[in-house]
Amino acid sequence: MSSTHVAIPEAPSYQRVYVWQWPIRVFHWITAASIVVLFTSGWLIGNPTLVSNGEAWEHFVMGRVREVHLVAAMVFTLAFAWRSAWFFLGNRHARSGFPYFWKPSWWRNLVTQGLDYLKLEAGTPHLGHNALAGLSYTLFIIGLGLVQIFTGFALLGQAQPGGLSDRLFGWVLPLLGGAMRATAWHHLAAWGFVVFVVLHVYIIFIDARQYRNGLIVSIITGYKFKRRRAAGETSKANDD
Amino acid sequence: MREQLVRRPSTWEVLQDRGIERRDFLKFCMTTTAALGLEAALVPRVVEALETQPRLPVMWMHGLECTCCSESFIRSAHPLVADIVFNMISLDYDDTLQAAAGHQVEAIRKKMMQEYDGEYVLAVEGNAPTKDGGVYCLVAGETFESQLLEAAAHAKFVIAWGSCASNGCVQAAYPNPTGAKPVRKLVFDKPVINVPGCPPISEVMTGLLTYVLTFGKLPELDRQNRPKAFYGHRIHDKCYRRAHFDAGQFVERWDDGGAQKGWCLYKMGCRGPTTYNACSSMMWNDGTSFPIGSGHGCIGCSEDNFWDDGPFYERLTSIPLPGIDSTPETVGKVAAGAALLGVAGHAAAFAIKHRNDPPRDKEMAEGGAS
Amino acid sequence: MSPRIVVDPVTRIEGHLRIEANLDDAGVVQEALSSGTMWRGIEVILQGRDPRDAWAFTERICGVCTTVHALASIRAVENAIGIEIPDNANIIRNMMFLTQMVQDHVVHFYQLHALDWVDVVSALAGDPKETAELNQAISPHWPKATPGYYADVKATLKRFVDSGQLGIFANAYWGNASYKLPPAANLMAVAHYLEALEWQKELVKIHTVFGGKNPHPNYLVGGMPCVLNLDDDTAIGAEKLAFVKDRIREAQAFVEQVYIPDLLAIASFYTDWAAIGGGLGSYLAYGDLPRTTLADPASYLIPRGVILDKNLAEVLPVDPTDLEEITEAVTHSWYRYPDGVQALHPWEGVTEPHYTGPKPPFRNLDETKAYSWLKTPRWKGRAVEVGPLARMLVGYASGRDDFKAVVDAALAKLGVPATALFSTLGRTAARGLETQLCVGWLMEEYERLVANVRAGNTATADTRKWDPKTWPAECRGYGLTEAPRGALGHWVRIQDGKIANYQAIVPSTWNASPRDASGQRGAYEAALLGTPLSDPEQPLEILRTIHSFDPCLACASHVFGPDGRELASVRVR
Repeated sequence: MSSTHVAIPEAPSYQRVYVWQWPIRVFHWITAASIVVLFTSGWLIGNPTLVSNGEAWEHFVMGRVREVHLVAAMVFTLAFAWRSAWFFLGNRHARSGFPYFWKPSWWRNLVTQGLDYLKLEAGTPHLGHNALAGLSYTLFIIGLGLVQIFTGFALLGQAQPGGLSDRLFGWVLPLLGGAMRATAWHHLAAWGFVVFVVLHVYIIFIDARQYRNGLIVSIITGYKFKRRRAAGETSKANDD
Repeated sequence: MREQLVRRPSTWEVLQDRGIERRDFLKFCMTTTAALGLEAALVPRVVEALETQPRLPVMWMHGLECTCCSESFIRSAHPLVADIVFNMISLDYDDTLQAAAGHQVEAIRKKMMQEYDGEYVLAVEGNAPTKDGGVYCLVAGETFESQLLEAAAHAKFVIAWGSCASNGCVQAAYPNPTGAKPVRKLVFDKPVINVPGCPPISEVMTGLLTYVLTFGKLPELDRQNRPKAFYGHRIHDKCYRRAHFDAGQFVERWDDGGAQKGWCLYKMGCRGPTTYNACSSMMWNDGTSFPIGSGHGCIGCSEDNFWDDGPFYERLTSIPLPGIDSTPETVGKVAAGAALLGVAGHAAAFAIKHRNDPPRDKEMAEGGAS
Repeated sequence: MSPRIVVDPVTRIEGHLRIEANLDDAGVVQEALSSGTMWRGIEVILQGRDPRDAWAFTERICGVCTTVHALASIRAVENAIGIEIPDNANIIRNMMFLTQMVQDHVVHFYQLHALDWVDVVSALAGDPKETAELNQAISPHWPKATPGYYADVKATLKRFVDSGQLGIFANAYWGNASYKLPPAANLMAVAHYLEALEWQKELVKIHTVFGGKNPHPNYLVGGMPCVLNLDDDTAIGAEKLAFVKDRIREAQAFVEQVYIPDLLAIASFYTDWAAIGGGLGSYLAYGDLPRTTLADPASYLIPRGVILDKNLAEVLPVDPTDLEEITEAVTHSWYRYPDGVQALHPWEGVTEPHYTGPKPPFRNLDETKAYSWLKTPRWKGRAVEVGPLARMLVGYASGRDDFKAVVDAALAKLGVPATALFSTLGRTAARGLETQLCVGWLMEEYERLVANVRAGNTATADTRKWDPKTWPAECRGYGLTEAPRGALGHWVRIQDGKIANYQAIVPSTWNASPRDASGQRGAYEAALLGTPLSDPEQPLEILRTIHSFDPCLACASHVFGPDGRELASVRVR
């Protein structure tokens, strides 16, 4: 508290709501970290720039980079599975990102949210995910994530035909027309994650600044803030 | 086939008459067993098979191709191609080596389909153009496509020699002007063994035949119907330069120090990491060398679509969609840049518009539209 | 005219060729039609691709004369971009070229051509002792020329024939009256058929050392990808060079002691064929094997030039960049030109495939209409023959001592005049004589390479213009070489680092082409006229003449693009 007295405008009262359960929060940060590691190591695999000299046996630079990539891929995949399970096991916010494309209300929410951003408004705050956010997670994290998991493990399986990775995912390669093409898709999807990260981080900050509802910290603590409605006031937002 | 053709002399009998001694014959069997990647314990079976198995009739057809498979075939060092052609199989139809021509050859073809119905092996080199009624390859006034289908219908099984017959190869590369189709897209009712490569290694070709003749069965095939014995590993995984790959030692220019020291050719576009073939283990021309061993990267000639996955000197192919000629890296960088610019633009405009706003205090919707 | 005979498939060639011929009552060919019956469209496929990849695509035009298309292609691209290759790369390319020439010629003679002259069944009557004596008489130092060896070969052959499974020898023309060799000579030739088959795989290992594999070794725009480094076990050093030298020595032994003696011995029984199958009498060679650089044709070991109408007194110059010299017509081909256009320089060609032949299955083609997938190339409007005979004649007529020596020696041995060269026999003999020159040159090139390495020059590639960013936005070039079957040229236009147009004119297109608008026949058709058949049911004599050209139809029939697209507007300066 500052010693200076500041006149605080009459603030509305807030309610603290538990939105993101711990499995969601853990998933988020594990996934975030693994995406960073995967992209960096993947970039190095595709464009080896770490040059070593001397005898080959003295070094294992690219081998290590691939190991890191593989470990991060395993972590990403496990987190992915974890989050998938939590879709069913978690609270209703865990399912809030689902694209309910058969519901007109979802489409309305999507369009409103999108238009708000285009009109340089911040959109309407939600406890869970709004439709646009949900759609972006579905496309980028689930969609691209699946692309990466399937192409990635299929490419990994090349080294050991008949091994687990090959048996589970190997069929992907001929389907895509060979490993070269699978690699191209793997790379393209990797860049999709970069695009996602840029948009995601930006929108989080802009929304957080506008909403003042603890949006950012909610992915650490799990809590968001919701304004208490004054008596007789009607809400334009759906907070069921 | 063994029962029906048993009146014919076996490989061993024929070799005997060539003045081959028993000891040399056993040595040959041992080499064959090793070449097939089989355990030493199986040598007696190889001996027995070559002693008693009759010569298998083979029809070798040529479609749209360049005959590099035949050329590779005659390079075989073990077994020697003369042994294969004169002692192990009966190459009854092969328009590249056949003494007869014209209607005499046609007569042989028809006779084989009749007399050895369901007994002969159909070896196909090249593929069939299917566009415009198949007029881009005509044999004896018929389309090759019709001859191929007819021959396959009477065959015991089909060997698709080389990348043309297995995958389509160069004439099927974009835009495939003749509508060339590999055997597996034309023949569905017979087993088709794919032996890709442009051409396949000679000892892979003869090794496959030896496998079939020795054990009287087809070899174990992988997902793409290639014999696991020869296509079970990537070139990369058996490459002598692999240590340099793992160490991060790459050739950057064709005439740099790395090239002089035999470092990894990955950055020069080598397709070894995505190509299944025996080049780095069996090597070419009786173990003399293989492409990477002579300083050039692998171009992936045994893989489907390898012609369209170029350029050969870039590791990353362009995005495999028609009309796109950019690599994922280029597209990705542009997309990421566009996202950054868009975000920055939005942020600037947003800041200007809301520069005098008090902090917002909106109501919260819960969980999207759910 | 009486019976029309059809030979389709023509076997022991590369690709798909159909011959139709009309015979008179005496069984002599009065009219002949040569039709290429395959088309692959590789130049169409090349459009828009990286020029540095083009060699790999064009190499797959032909797997029998593997490497020659790669060589022509890489030269065309380097010519366009303006790349000078290191001396070592030139020498190694020459060695690849020569290796190919020697191997291809030997395989052609034994595996593809010999059975036209050698009666395999008659060999069964050959006496091993007599055969050994014959072999020793013509080749005193060949170690296998023993009665025991020939007894073994004969027993093998007998067992093979007795097995009832004749394989590739089935249903052929054994016993035909035009087989002239005595049984002993037949037995010797059959033995050497097998020896050649076993030996040829050794020589091509030179390709494997420098290019990594054979067929289809690797090349590189700017030089060669192989590394010369005496002090690294993975590069080409002392051991691999010694290996190469051994293969060359073996080749010299085989050519000098087996191929050439066999060729002359067999030819001596068939001197009547020195008057059959002459054909056009006009010849074209681009020449190859630069001793200095490609830009200096005067240094070529195989000279360039044209001979018209059997006139050995004059060798005319060839300019591959002159738009008027080389043109192609489609009057009798299954392609369409715009109205009013007769013949076009390949750089200006507008082509669409347009099959107008009979609907398969068919019995006959019609020489008055379009009848082939080959176009009709002409030099200044003249039909010319290309191949070993053309090269030997151009070398001979240019007054080159090395050419004169081998040709005159062979003529003296067979007791025939120089005019005998213009024939089926001359064509087959020229191939052998060229092989003789080539093995010698191969060793010379090897010595030059070793001398360079000894002097510390190990550069094999120049990468200064490897990056497409260093290329002009638009450029064009040509690459010429000599395939075993004759003159081969590739033309390329490059725009913004991609192939804008690609064109090849290949030897078998020259030789096997259908007639042109003025009725001039191609070399095959012309050579077949007047060929006598001893049995019209057995096209043996037709095969002799056709095989003497060593047809390669996958090469010949790959040209131009579909759908009426304008594909060619390349101009080479």
